[in-house]
Amino acid sequence: MSTVSLFDKTAVIVRRDLLTAIRYRTGFLLNAAGAITELAAFYYLSRAVGPGFRPEGLEYFSFLLVGTGFYTFLLMGVHAFLQTVQEAQQTGTLEVLMTTSTSPPVLVFLSAMSAFAANTVTLLFYLAAGLLFGAPLHPSLVASLSVFLLSVIIAVAIGLIAAALQLAIQKGSAVVWALGSVWFLTGTMFPVQTLPKPLRDLAQVIPITHSLEGMRLALLEGAPLRGVAHELLILAVFAMILVPLSLLFFSWTLRRARMEGTLSFY
Amino acid sequence: MPAVTLESVSKVFRHHPALFNWLGRERTGETRALDHVSLDVPSGSVLVLLGPNGSGKTTTLKLISTMLLPDDGRVLVQNFDTRSDSRAVRERVGFAVATERSFFPRLSARENLDFFAALDDIPRKTRPDRVDELLTRTGLRDAADTLVMKFSSGMYQRLGIARALITKPAVVLLDEPTRSLDPGSAAQFWNLVRELPTQGATVILATHNFNEAVAVGNHVAVLFKGSLAAERSLPATMRVDELRSFYFQTTGELEEVEPVVVRSVR
Repeated sequence: MSTVSLFDKTAVIVRRDLLTAIRYRTGFLLNAAGAITELAAFYYLSRAVGPGFRPEGLEYFSFLLVGTGFYTFLLMGVHAFLQTVQEAQQTGTLEVLMTTSTSPPVLVFLSAMSAFAANTVTLLFYLAAGLLFGAPLHPSLVASLSVFLLSVIIAVAIGLIAAALQLAIQKGSAVVWALGSVWFLTGTMFPVQTLPKPLRDLAQVIPITHSLEGMRLALLEGAPLRGVAHELLILAVFAMILVPLSLLFFSWTLRRARMEGTLSFY
Repeated sequence: MPAVTLESVSKVFRHHPALFNWLGRERTGETRALDHVSLDVPSGSVLVLLGPNGSGKTTTLKLISTMLLPDDGRVLVQNFDTRSDSRAVRERVGFAVATERSFFPRLSARENLDFFAALDDIPRKTRPDRVDELLTRTGLRDAADTLVMKFSSGMYQRLGIARALITKPAVVLLDEPTRSLDPGSAAQFWNLVRELPTQGATVILATHNFNEAVAVGNHVAVLFKGSLAAERSLPATMRVDELRSFYFQTTGELEEVEPVVVRSVR
């Protein structure tokens, strides 16, 4: 496939998702309102907790802003893969999409990347609203982008595993559920250091823990690339393991669904 | 060289019931959808697949389109194997599926066609004209910018046919294409199908409608309980009642075909 046609395909997928999003008029507005309400709640929570509580030496509202914003972004990204397959199964488009000239992994990847793009807009909106609430951001651009990219690659891999599980057993939601239920281990709302030793160890094998740690260092403390090198290294190892594993698993489940005639089951 | 070849193709669907099957009564075992079916479809012909529900018509079409993979035997499209050259096969096949709602509901007919055309590698420059042409040919020109969630069953069906033709495929697969069409639209559609071989396409059409079979076909294959029960040419002079008799004699579904009784309505 040429770069031009890949670009063209990305464009039509983004256009499809954008048109679908804005044509759910109320849903679009509710999402924006939901994000602002959440931020307001965190703002007042941090005020109630008081200025004495400074996790990892950071002001608590900023800690919450980056933790919840980036955690939600990554979780929604994983969910996007699942949603891509689920919606296509429910609307009956999956089988048809699988007979186009575009290969299935590319198709699922592009669709999910489009959803990632939409989530990035939401994340930026969230961070911008956080600035209005007075969160002091000191971003280091290169370090932030590096953590962001590696985290997205890992989320893509986990998303592909969710999509594959959806094809195999129609329960890809288990991955999103599992990821969603370990939020308290990842340092989203309070530091990992406050957990007992066994849970702290468990937190280390969850990639999001390192994504949040790296992102806080880069966005709130202005840490340069060298300052986030430890987190980047761990994230790179996760990516090297998860990416090939997820591609193999997705290809296997897709072939299995074609053999068993269960592509459109949901 | 035949456009499509089935070489002793078998397809079995296995039923995996829930863990606690004693709570309900889900079917176990397997369904043999196709049993060593061999068939050559000559280039430029219109092959009509006849057979009762569950005889294997849709499974045959799905195997040719790569939606399904065979358990045994080979399916070749212009000599490309659906297992090993699935991309080459997908580039050559257009499939109008029986599932009406296999479109994105909040996109218009034009936007849906443009989306699928892009995934089928049609260059951006030529897409608008191709989409317009097909909307006109399928009688959807006036509804081109209507969101498809507002479409009737017949309109969905016509849009599905337009989508199948978007790449000017060498092989067009049509699964009960006129099921929801009014008589006028069906006749218009039959004209469109008759044109396709003159443009170099081979058509395989699954239907229960003998009028349709006689109107468009020049070959007929009868599937019964997953086996190829009979195959013959359909001369232009063949009458509907002759085909009906041939069908029932082949399948043995009715020992004797009752003459059609036309009642007068008072």
